[in-house]
Amino acid sequence: MIKDAWTFKPFSAAPIALMDEQGNWVADFPLELPPDFLRGLYRDMLAARLLDEKFVILIRTGKTSFIAPHAGHEAAHVGIAHAMQRGHDWLFPYYRDMGLMVAMGMPFKEIFGQMLGNAADPAKGRQMPSHPGSRALNIFTVCSAIASHIPPAAGAAVSMKLKGTGQVSVCTFGDGATSEGDWYAGLNFAAVQGAPAVFACLNNRYAISVDLSHQTAAHSIADKAHAFGIPGYRVDGMDALASYFVMREVIERARSGHGPALVELEVYRYGPHSSADDDLRYRPKEEVEAAKKRDPIERFRRLLEKQGLWNLEWEERLRADLKARIDRALEEAEAMGEVPALAMFDDVFAEPTWNLIEQRALVQEELR
Amino acid sequence: MIQAINAALDEEMARDARVMVLGEDVGKRGGVFLATEGLQQKYGPDRVMDTPLSEAAIIGAAVGMAAHGMRPVAEIQFADYVFPGFDQLVSQAAKLRYRSGGQFTAPMVVRMPSGGGVRGGHHHSQSPEAHFAHTGGLKTIVVSTPYDTKGLLKSAIRDDDPVIFMEPKRLYRALKEEVPSEEYLIPIGKAAVRREGSDISLISYGGSMIETQKAAEELASVGISAEVIDLRTVMPWDKEAVLNSVAKTGRVLVISEAPRTASIASEVAATIAEELLDQLEAPPLRVTGFDTPYPYAQDKLYMPTVTRILNAAKRALDY
Repeated sequence: MIKDAWTFKPFSAAPIALMDEQGNWVADFPLELPPDFLRGLYRDMLAARLLDEKFVILIRTGKTSFIAPHAGHEAAHVGIAHAMQRGHDWLFPYYRDMGLMVAMGMPFKEIFGQMLGNAADPAKGRQMPSHPGSRALNIFTVCSAIASHIPPAAGAAVSMKLKGTGQVSVCTFGDGATSEGDWYAGLNFAAVQGAPAVFACLNNRYAISVDLSHQTAAHSIADKAHAFGIPGYRVDGMDALASYFVMREVIERARSGHGPALVELEVYRYGPHSSADDDLRYRPKEEVEAAKKRDPIERFRRLLEKQGLWNLEWEERLRADLKARIDRALEEAEAMGEVPALAMFDDVFAEPTWNLIEQRALVQEELR
Repeated sequence: MIQAINAALDEEMARDARVMVLGEDVGKRGGVFLATEGLQQKYGPDRVMDTPLSEAAIIGAAVGMAAHGMRPVAEIQFADYVFPGFDQLVSQAAKLRYRSGGQFTAPMVVRMPSGGGVRGGHHHSQSPEAHFAHTGGLKTIVVSTPYDTKGLLKSAIRDDDPVIFMEPKRLYRALKEEVPSEEYLIPIGKAAVRREGSDISLISYGGSMIETQKAAEELASVGISAEVIDLRTVMPWDKEAVLNSVAKTGRVLVISEAPRTASIASEVAATIAEELLDQLEAPPLRVTGFDTPYPYAQDKLYMPTVTRILNAAKRALDY
């Protein structure tokens, strides 16, 4: 099933990494990516990190009700996004994927609109924060029910195959999702159909407070691919280039008719599960600090520097530019104001039913 | 009714290449009740897709297919087995349009044989329509005649939103009716007046239409004129048709074999009480199944019997 030409071997004992902690390229093939592409990966990771920091300010100032910190996931996010044909392929993300949204090209203003639940949100403030989506970018709207987006990702992939569109359906989720029935149902269905789907687990070792040893007795999440008859890859998800190259390979593999793959990207979330969580109750501070020493952005910065693609002046200019864009986008989003109250009754169906029309009139009367 | 389902699917698949059927045993076997018989031979295994035994996968994949532009018709072998796929219905299908602000939609149909009367025990006899009706974003149809089945299934397939299509399995081969071979559609959300009457309204749907119509005949034999309304769609149900009838008769029974509490029957009765209290000659009464799991040994007794309907009618008429 797997061509000899493929670079990566599934089911490796250790996570696939292509650069070491010092940013040295250690792969057995040359790094032949354009400088602008490499700088672009760094820019998106940095933007994602700055966005995460901004979200903390939003929650502390009461401007939003919920955040799901994504710092630590940036390398996996940019690797996945840049391996896709953005705007052509479909992404089925989960709630901790704001860095992925950035790398997919979602405007900051829309991201803030979703975080604020206001009129800047293309989804009209229907869901809690950290649940983005974009029809324009083929990003399926995030759903809170864990793993429920996985069978739809499989179904979309089957549709792509039947229509011969040349698209790939990429679906992300956390390690906790791999315990859900929907996960098995979705992967099994896609595998049976040989559909162009890639399932990417961002394994940060914690489903809120429940650590991986309570989630699975398997050696790795990637190993579970055996059960579906598809290849499983274990990747150092703190390595942006390993994330990118493995995802690129399995996406192209799916696109060329070789069926789904499961990729486990081992990451670490630096923050708590959410703004409603205290992670010190279940994981030692030292563990978090140790993970921060493996920071994906710093690691990639070292590589860029060794490649002659980074200097302090560029970094400072980049940071200043991103911060200004983020600040401006937040201001613009805030200026959009609230979603009209009666919009609550829109979009239940294509045409409103009589009960919705009656209930809408009730609220309209109340507001008068 | 089975032939009507098959004809509706065949016509819609021929009309629109986006329409496809998926489910367990729908292909070679043609469905356990043979509703999809012959379709795979005609349209191929891609458009009549035998799936893994997984309701979550069937319904969830249909959501993704629909969002990507197909018009999937998913078959759940028995309505009782919808629950492993319930997350996909309530979390994904029902809410996709709403939670995306209209950016994504899931135009799909989920067909399922429902109801009792076939000695199937509680996991082959339930009527779970209230679960769907209680979930904003789903439309739910429960058919009672072959003619309606074809016209409503075709409408459901063309609808831009997810539609639950429930087929009382005891009616599959119990009724014979001329079903036109030419194209016709029956609108979703419109009830049918099965019998005109002036003394009491009998509001029902699905399998219970059999006993309801028998009860109306018995009432007629003793000089009582019962009007019989078949809701056909239980969400959104036809409030106008129901209120018009009850305003005329002043007395009403709502009859359904689903469990009583928090049921479609309860909803219809409550709405009648809210809107027509001054015109009622008696309280709206429900004649329903019971709040127990469906019992195998009392298969026929669980469903509203003609006697139980007549007793309720007597109570309403004597009030």
